[in-house]
Amino acid sequence: MTPPEKVIAIEGLVKRFGSFTALDGVDLDVGRGEVHGFLGPNGSGKSTTIRVLLGLLRADGGHVELLGGDPWRDVIALHRRLAYVPGDVSLWPGLSGGQAIDLLGNLRGGLDRARRDRLIERFELDPTKRGRQYSKGNRQKVAIVAALSSDAELLILDEPTSGLDPLMEAVFQDEIAAVKDEGRTVLLSSHILTEVEALADRVSIIRQGRISQTGTLAELRAQTRVTVSARLAHPPTDIASIPVLHDPHLDAHGRLTATVEPDQVNAAMAALVPHEMSQLTVSPASLEDLFLRHYDDERAS
Amino acid sequence: MGRHTEASHRREVFTGTRTLLKVALHQDRPKIAPWVGLISVLSVSSILAYRWIFPDLADRKTLAMAIGANPAMQLVFGAPRDLLTNDGFNAWRAGALGAFFAGLMAIIIVVRNTRADEDSGRAELIASGVITREARLLVAVLMATVAAVALAVVCFLLTWASGGEPHPTAVLSLTFAASALMYAGIAAVAAQLGSDARSASSIAIAVLGVSYVARGYLDSTGAEEWTRWLTPLGWLEQTYPATQNNLWPLVPAVLLAIAMVALALGLQRRRDFGLGLIATRPGPARAPGLGLPGLAVRIHRGSVITWMIGFAFLGLVFGTLAASVGDVFASNPAMGAIIASGAATAEGLRFAFVATILHIVGIVTAVMGAQVLMRVYAEETDDRVEPVLATATSRTAYLGSNVLIALASTALGMAVAGTVMGLVAGASDAGIGFGDVVRQAIVTIPAVWVLVGVSVATVGAEPSRRIAGWLVIVATFGITLLGPTFKLPDWMLGISPLYHVPNVQAPSPGWISLAGLGAVACLLYAVGFAGFRRRDVH
Repeated sequence: MTPPEKVIAIEGLVKRFGSFTALDGVDLDVGRGEVHGFLGPNGSGKSTTIRVLLGLLRADGGHVELLGGDPWRDVIALHRRLAYVPGDVSLWPGLSGGQAIDLLGNLRGGLDRARRDRLIERFELDPTKRGRQYSKGNRQKVAIVAALSSDAELLILDEPTSGLDPLMEAVFQDEIAAVKDEGRTVLLSSHILTEVEALADRVSIIRQGRISQTGTLAELRAQTRVTVSARLAHPPTDIASIPVLHDPHLDAHGRLTATVEPDQVNAAMAALVPHEMSQLTVSPASLEDLFLRHYDDERAS
Repeated sequence: MGRHTEASHRREVFTGTRTLLKVALHQDRPKIAPWVGLISVLSVSSILAYRWIFPDLADRKTLAMAIGANPAMQLVFGAPRDLLTNDGFNAWRAGALGAFFAGLMAIIIVVRNTRADEDSGRAELIASGVITREARLLVAVLMATVAAVALAVVCFLLTWASGGEPHPTAVLSLTFAASALMYAGIAAVAAQLGSDARSASSIAIAVLGVSYVARGYLDSTGAEEWTRWLTPLGWLEQTYPATQNNLWPLVPAVLLAIAMVALALGLQRRRDFGLGLIATRPGPARAPGLGLPGLAVRIHRGSVITWMIGFAFLGLVFGTLAASVGDVFASNPAMGAIIASGAATAEGLRFAFVATILHIVGIVTAVMGAQVLMRVYAEETDDRVEPVLATATSRTAYLGSNVLIALASTALGMAVAGTVMGLVAGASDAGIGFGDVVRQAIVTIPAVWVLVGVSVATVGAEPSRRIAGWLVIVATFGITLLGPTFKLPDWMLGISPLYHVPNVQAPSPGWISLAGLGAVACLLYAVGFAGFRRRDVH
């Protein structure tokens, strides 16, 4: 049997909690060897999707395939091949961090001791502290070390770096890059956009229980308006009269900022030339713009 | 100047107390109300039931004789002073038990608003506000005080409205409030000693349990009057509601509460936020062999060991009691007449008493078993089950490892209590055989497993209904101990699994009913496991 091309294949996934529909037809594909960024506002359904993938929640509709199997039915076989980091790590109060790491590793079917010790050192974790004594960031590190110490072919990371300091965030990115080089697959849910920008091959954005956009960062940028900024010597009396400019703003010194559809940049320039531009910048949307726009749409709707 | 700073310091101690108390009371009101309601119902129900079940003097005299001759009843409820009046009966039936539950209520309120809040991080938010270090502890104690006053008022009004005489009812209600105050103080101290909420409440509940059992032992052995002062719950008995209506024994109770709160405030100044005075030692850096069984053992180890010490203690107390029960029978002329008439042998009566005591032990072990299962659900809501189930661990194995602990610990608890009880009773010349006591303890185990099974079924299949796990234990307690007193019909008594426990001394012990209990237990566990495989895990 040839290994499946897709490590995660979700089609039309629906999950309801009572009368509340948490997932309303999610479609998500993650290919082998890919780092897939999974983004969305709080409460949009990221963690619910991940819990369905882990077989913790039962899907109410749609089709979910994980590593070629059914995540609800083939729990044990599939879980041997994946590792998970929750966003809110809660440790056993009486177990030390080292014990928790070994426990989770043993339950998965073994872990790489040398790698575990190296990771504990890299993440500057004290493994002898008890669960209740760790700070939020250190609890997170325990879960990260436990997951990365395994040979799992798929890592499911649900906001893994919340609470990590910038130094540790850098170590984390470094380690994920190494995982990617080994050809392993990562589903990375995160709010830290620089992290996603640095690591992800492809990105899916979830909104109100549906995937609203998916693709490579370049593809997403191509669908997002470009920011134009220029100083106009002869500003028009009514800036709204130039139709290609979206959300235009003109200050008292003739400084114009606006956004433009990516395929309308040329038309916008042509429209602005008569007003004598100087200090012109045209910048593609940053990932941050992209998300702010999505999150804003959500708030508006 | 000295006076000025002292006054301003005192004012500062209370900074923020009022605001916090308001918010905390608003939060906790729905959690306090059921305690106040249930304890009041205890008193109301004995007022109502008494007139209904024991309408005339002859019935009441029979009751007084039966209770007077039954040390097991005195162990649980206290020494009866006057069972010929409605209020006297209420003072006996609700007095000790109500004081116990009032104390438990206060412990839970205080620990929840001190250590539990520190563990969850909520207290940090509060502590960073304009508020003194003392305020959080004071608020917790004040909340327990409010609950105590509410309990006294509600219990008095409801009992009075149901037909209780005002004076004895007031005294009884005040003993409940006094118990709540004392154990609020003890819980405040425990909250400074324990390194987290669980150990803090274990310490406080252990103190409550020991004082309750000590009181029961003294009551049922008819110990010297002065010995009743050895346990705080004994002080409350000295008020003699309905017979003497003394209020002054409540003064030392209030003084104890004040002293304990002062001690707690002193201890709190000496400890760090989020840590207890009993410091946490560093743990091992690795655990190469730690798996699912090890995890289950580690989760429950601490509380199960504490329980086992408790069971050994119970066995000791009950064993001594069983040894002395012969004297009690001998000194009771009515019992003497029954034995003389040949209707029962002295040995038979003594062993029936041993079996009843083992029913009580069985109910206590069931509480431990239910607690193990409730802990499983707490692990789930605390997000600690999710990472385990995300590994190659099946749900059946996870639940199974915990259910195994519940089954093994309840069986061990019965065995420990039975063995100690058998040793103590067997060593005396009471004519109770060691082997019989141990065997009787062992045959009680399946009934305990049925009780625990309700917790398995609900936690496994439908955790929102898990309260049923506790209710079934409370109902069994009521039916087993009070059913015969209230002359319930056999089919109603039969609802209690303990009713079906065979007597190993009987010529033909009911082994079939034992098989029946096993079947019911299996059914409950099957429901729990099947449900746990099927439901969403959060």
